[in-house]
Amino acid sequence: MNEIAKNDYLTCLLNSLSARREDNFLPESQQNEKLSWLKQLRAEAIDQAGQLKLPTTKDEEWRFTDISPLAKLPFKPARTSSTLELNDIQPFLIEEANNRLVFVDGYFAPDLSNILGKDQLIIGNLSSLTTHPVTEIKHHLGQHIQLKNNIFAALNTAFLQDGAFIVAPKNIAVSKPIHLLFIATQKETTNYPRILVVGKENSQMTLIEDYVALQDGAANGAYITNSVVELNLAANAQAQHIRIQRENTNAFHLANGAVSLDHASRYQAANITLGAQISRYNLDISFISEAAECVVHGLTMVANTQLADTHTSIDHLKPNCTSHQQHKCIADDSARAVFNGKIIVRPNAQRTNSSQSSRNLLLSGKAQIDTKPQLEIFADDVKCAHGATVGQLDNEEIFYLKSRGLPELVARNLLTYAFGAEVLDHIPVNSLKHKLEQTVLNQTQSS
Amino acid sequence: MSAVLQNLVNQPYRHGFVTDIESEIAPKGLNEETIRLISAKKNEPDWLLDFRLKAYQKWLTMSEPSWQNVHYPKIDFQEISYYAAPKPKKKLASMDEVDPELLRTFEKLGVPMHERAALAGVAVDVVFDSVSVATTYKEKLAELGIIFCSISEAVQKHPDLVREYIGAVVPVGDNFYAALNSAVFTDGSFCYIPKGIKCPMDLSTYFRINTEGSGQFERTLVIAEEGASVSYLEGCTAPQFDTNQLHAAVVELIAMDNADIKYSTVQNWYAGDENGIGGIYNFVTKRGLAKGVNSRISWTQVETGAAITWKYPSCILRGDNSVGEFYSVAVTNHHQQADTGTKMIHLGKNTRSTIISKGISAGKSNSSYRGLVRIAPTAENARNFSQCDSMLVGNQCGAHTFPYIQVRNHSAKVEHEASTSKIGEDQLFYFAQRGIDAEEAVSMIVNGFCKEVFQQLPMEFAVEATKLLSFKLEGSVG
Repeated sequence: MNEIAKNDYLTCLLNSLSARREDNFLPESQQNEKLSWLKQLRAEAIDQAGQLKLPTTKDEEWRFTDISPLAKLPFKPARTSSTLELNDIQPFLIEEANNRLVFVDGYFAPDLSNILGKDQLIIGNLSSLTTHPVTEIKHHLGQHIQLKNNIFAALNTAFLQDGAFIVAPKNIAVSKPIHLLFIATQKETTNYPRILVVGKENSQMTLIEDYVALQDGAANGAYITNSVVELNLAANAQAQHIRIQRENTNAFHLANGAVSLDHASRYQAANITLGAQISRYNLDISFISEAAECVVHGLTMVANTQLADTHTSIDHLKPNCTSHQQHKCIADDSARAVFNGKIIVRPNAQRTNSSQSSRNLLLSGKAQIDTKPQLEIFADDVKCAHGATVGQLDNEEIFYLKSRGLPELVARNLLTYAFGAEVLDHIPVNSLKHKLEQTVLNQTQSS
Repeated sequence: MSAVLQNLVNQPYRHGFVTDIESEIAPKGLNEETIRLISAKKNEPDWLLDFRLKAYQKWLTMSEPSWQNVHYPKIDFQEISYYAAPKPKKKLASMDEVDPELLRTFEKLGVPMHERAALAGVAVDVVFDSVSVATTYKEKLAELGIIFCSISEAVQKHPDLVREYIGAVVPVGDNFYAALNSAVFTDGSFCYIPKGIKCPMDLSTYFRINTEGSGQFERTLVIAEEGASVSYLEGCTAPQFDTNQLHAAVVELIAMDNADIKYSTVQNWYAGDENGIGGIYNFVTKRGLAKGVNSRISWTQVETGAAITWKYPSCILRGDNSVGEFYSVAVTNHHQQADTGTKMIHLGKNTRSTIISKGISAGKSNSSYRGLVRIAPTAENARNFSQCDSMLVGNQCGAHTFPYIQVRNHSAKVEHEASTSKIGEDQLFYFAQRGIDAEEAVSMIVNGFCKEVFQQLPMEFAVEATKLLSFKLEGSVG
């Protein structure tokens, strides 16, 4: 029965794809020869998606994440019907970020967006930019993400229409953070957000990738977000990437991120997962040249019957690179948190320095944690360490706080908050950090 | 030529395939007939034949696993002969006839004199009367009610015990190779410690009287009744050669209330030559059931041989307060591959487990640690500590870690840590400064690296294992 449902979902999707293959995605004006590469990219993705099946728990990569509930619902691609006004999205705005791209149900909303730093940046959505820095986009779009054996990335590419494209030019340090806001408003639809970020030589930027749902109305139902992010840093470039997933708790969130780091570039990420019924984030980081560095922090905080799955892969292809990763999960009620972190050190990637830690906190008897920190090492002159812990709050710590006059509940909340807040400390945008701290605090106090 | 002979030759073939229990080696291939043949040869009761056939039926429905991190040409299971009557090895008259290479190995390992003879296949009474040693041991054990014999003997003499426990921990359909073993196992050891008895000596397969070569599909069953305790040693440090390439053994341990089983393995099968040609595939299923309260199961392994080692000695901690331990050293050199680790399944309250795994890869070898720690919802206050360290010698080898941690109870505390390192230039320099050459320095560093595990080995094993390690890594540095 399950099998039939799955086929339904995929067949439905693929049918809608082939229907749209003819009528083309882009407005009339853009229908020129120059865009044939984009059509081809989509066509290849459609072929790729057609060959794949929805993963089941029998697939090693999806062992702990059962997405069959998703396949049972009749999701269709979202349509443009944005009636949102700036007031509606006010709560989501970040004061420091004066560059803002807003996407409603995966479609660019120019009225809500605010593009200021044009002198510093090339920023915009696909339709507005395809004519302009086309070579840059052509060079990177779809080149970093693996579509093989990755049905969701393939589907995203197949439905590729709108997307955020950011290029930080050579020798430019973008002072203000760039806010990419993805808002879901329609239920029983699938959104396909797409992001391409290119940091040219010696550039610097801060990026906030933010997934939200409107609190009221239709958006309280279930929907799917299937996003793909590609990020490329050239030599000596730096990027700070903050990713916040705060979808509503009926949503399904499936995301893929691919990061490639060139010589001496530096990538810092903070991945905060709070929302969605079922969420999955694949982050693949590849060191394509020497002396690059990445620091990845993650916080997953789930309750009720939520399931949050984070898969990361850090691939040391070249020598002299450094990677540090810390991932924390807090699971309450009957929630499940999954973490799979893979570090690969390829032959000859000597003098790799890599560390990974997975720390997990279980707040309730029914919560579940599955963690798998994985090392694959093929070079001998390396320093690699990983660690994992799973546990509850330390009784002695609680006792200490109680001895200072705090009631048990307050002591517990404080410790839980402190556990999560350590990750939030790595967010360089103050207003956002405070807002998230408040969210974490609220969540700990409700439990 | 006599008419008698002529007559014999011309006789029609009367036995047919099934009843031909006179032959020494079963024809190649695996089918129900082969299994019936093995069972008939060994004069087994019907229930055991049923057990084998059930396993065979399961096996037919299973496919060879492919998730493991080892690579080898596909095995043709129909090209293997599944039964060969144990042939007495040719006895050598004295130590002088033994291959000098083998003697040198013994010398390096420091194997005791009398054991050297036994290992080299010298007729024991010529040099040392180990038979009498063995007999004395056996009498002593019998006095205490301990049963220690081959599993075939146990099937004949203690069928009720075997029937009760065989397949209780590793069911016939557990995995591909366990099913194969259950269908065709030919021999192995059986050990039963009655209630309240502490076994006075380490039981070792060395001095098991009735085995001549352990066989390709070994089956071991160790049962410790309430309050009993036993330390069991398997294998030996001396290199073992075998013509069978595939070895698929099954070991089952059962510990009742307050019982304690310690199972130590030193494995040094032929690993193939420097180019990775030949060598034995060691695919083993080992599992212990800590059934009773306060029971304890401890696995210690030193894996140095075999072209491919693939095993996960596991503990199912069902009894409340039960303890599981796993201490492992896996050394791979040249083209060897090892995918080994453990599974700790916590079911009972206050269960504890410790995992210490050390992997050393040299040459072009690959070693993987793959482990599972599962805390079931019923396992209140379960505790696990895992540590797996890898050491790489040379830049063509690989070390991998795949730890699975699944926690379903919030009172659990699970810790895992892993590190990878190499022998530092500065370390070697320090040794050189003290007048110790590189080879010896490596051996000292490696032994220090493995100390936590070697401490768990019985005394004489520990000494030999230390030497075995340096012997194994000989020539891999400098």
